[in-house]
Amino acid sequence: MKKTLKWFFIVGLITLVGIQFIPADVNKQEVISSSDIRNVYDVPDNVMNILENSCYDCHSNNTNYPWYSLVQPIRLIMDHHIEEGKGELNFSEFANYSERRKRNKMRAISEQIEKSKMPLPSYLWLHSDAIITPSQKDSIVAFINDQKN
Amino acid sequence: MNIKRISLFSLAVAGSLFLASCGNSSNTENHNDMSHEHHEGMEHDHGSHQHSESNERSVSSNSGELKGDLTSIMSSYFSLNESLVKDNASSAAKSSENLVGALKKFKGTGLTVEANKEVSEILESAIENAEHIASNSDDIDHQREHLVSLSTDIKDLIGIIGTKQKLYEDYCPMANNNEGAIWISNKEEISNPYMGSSMPKCGKVNRVIE
Repeated sequence: MKKTLKWFFIVGLITLVGIQFIPADVNKQEVISSSDIRNVYDVPDNVMNILENSCYDCHSNNTNYPWYSLVQPIRLIMDHHIEEGKGELNFSEFANYSERRKRNKMRAISEQIEKSKMPLPSYLWLHSDAIITPSQKDSIVAFINDQKN
Repeated sequence: MNIKRISLFSLAVAGSLFLASCGNSSNTENHNDMSHEHHEGMEHDHGSHQHSESNERSVSSNSGELKGDLTSIMSSYFSLNESLVKDNASSAAKSSENLVGALKKFKGTGLTVEANKEVSEILESAIENAEHIASNSDDIDHQREHLVSLSTDIKDLIGIIGTKQKLYEDYCPMANNNEGAIWISNKEEISNPYMGSSMPKCGKVNRVIE
């Protein structure tokens, strides 16, 4: 029994060390892209701050990586989230969306935020500073409603 | 004691890797579903035959020739709506999968460059909406949110392509968090996909498309 446990431990350790060598994606463009949402609409500063602080990690071409992103398998999970997030909505590519898609996205953002479906609870668990307060929600929704007129 | 803890950790590592791969496998499943839809698209080619024959008789919404065959798109869209009227999210997801296939197969004919661009934007948006409905078989509210923009896409598509079928643009002021939303129906009587069994008759006919 003790022997199996020992082997289990060794295999586990080797796996853990081994997966550290899996190459990680780097989602960092460093510059604000010309197709960023701030170049599409007149986004108020406070709204832009909320977006950058609470959404841009997964919904833009610039992720602000925390220290634990250097550890596998955390990075793998993170890369997967970022890929999915950008597929749904990428604020850095917003200008490239058709007018119809822009409209859809704006409506979806407003809905997801109002219903507190975004940011994801699993993300907020590690990023309590990304929580969107009720008054911040109101400013985002007001900004989106302004664009409809 | 220590060994136990580390083994537990490696188990957790293995577990998370497994989860990550699960995510991938569901992706491939989706892929399979899509290729499956191609079969349905075949009927669509078939349908265009009938069109050329009935062209003269049809008075379409674009007041001219039909610019394509929407039959398979419309039939999946109608069965999607029927499922939502019955509050059946999983059958709505299935119909929406068919809809994705039909939308991907669609080709407009004799369109101007401008209209062609418009159509591909509509299709892109409709496919995105339909994919969301298909992948949210456990969240009927989210399915209905996407039906709002999907229905606008379908309406605009009909506006450009035209239809030989008599259709109704219905409107419910209570849908979409009381902002109101439209949907397209092939029946004169109202059956509301947004409110479901709680208020299936809520709404009115906005416009007849023929």
